[in-house]
Amino acid sequence: MQTPDFKGTHLFDRLCWAKENLDGVQSDYRVVYEDSIDECAKILVPDPNWMACALQGGILPPVWVYHELAKDEAQPNFKKHTRGYLLHTTEPMPAMTEEQAIEYLIMKDVPQHVWQEWNTGNKPKMVICRKEQLPSTREWRNAWKITEDLTATDIAA
Amino acid sequence: MAGTIVADTLTHSTAGSIATNYVVDGSAKVWVNFDFASTTERDALNLSSITDNGTADMTLTFSSAMGNANYATTGMSGEVSGTGVPDGVVQAARNGGYSGAFTTTTTRLRCTNLAGSAVERGFAAVAMMGDLA
Repeated sequence: MQTPDFKGTHLFDRLCWAKENLDGVQSDYRVVYEDSIDECAKILVPDPNWMACALQGGILPPVWVYHELAKDEAQPNFKKHTRGYLLHTTEPMPAMTEEQAIEYLIMKDVPQHVWQEWNTGNKPKMVICRKEQLPSTREWRNAWKITEDLTATDIAA
Repeated sequence: MAGTIVADTLTHSTAGSIATNYVVDGSAKVWVNFDFASTTERDALNLSSITDNGTADMTLTFSSAMGNANYATTGMSGEVSGTGVPDGVVQAARNGGYSGAFTTTTTRLRCTNLAGSAVERGFAAVAMMGDLA
């Protein structure tokens, strides 16, 4: 199905169009990351409708738009967004592969200090894996950490 | 877009009129029905991801940002499996205070039983009402 010309259309309207016209895509990828030494590893699961939008193209704004809005929100006197138009008027992203979509989602939904310095410490702070590589039960869930025994091959894979 | 109707007021033949901003402002901008235990969505609108932060602790991240972080969130969760006992509460996570639980693109939620202990129910549904950016 061809995506309508959505430039200038409110992002929420585009998402409603996608929900009505695209089948959800359940990704097998998961992003495991640690953003605090006081908390266990977190696991990001892509939304199927969002993934369908990413693969379709012409719907989602570039990820830098979210970073600009996050900067605005981080200001101490922030009350409400005044540059929300960036979400709606910026040229939408073209179709992505699933791997490109995961990279985009990391930059959108994972804290910047994690993905910008994911491999600068004693062990990786973030790993992309497949769902079946996660523990099969949630026993001791609050103690889960990324293993320190990841090899260079594991990381490259 | 094709099919657009521009109207500020809807009028019923007998029941009266309502301004369309009641519809625009009052409808859910984000909603999701999901399984806390497996982080599996059944259906959703305006989400980009769910992050499993730990036992019964999730962050929902939106695609289309809210206008500010003062939107309203409502949620429910299922009963203890097979007992018929309503014993699950979805609430804002308080890690770092409630102010840290809501941003214009994320909401962090916990699911507890009535005693306040974290529990992962197979059914949870959450919706957010407010203004979009």
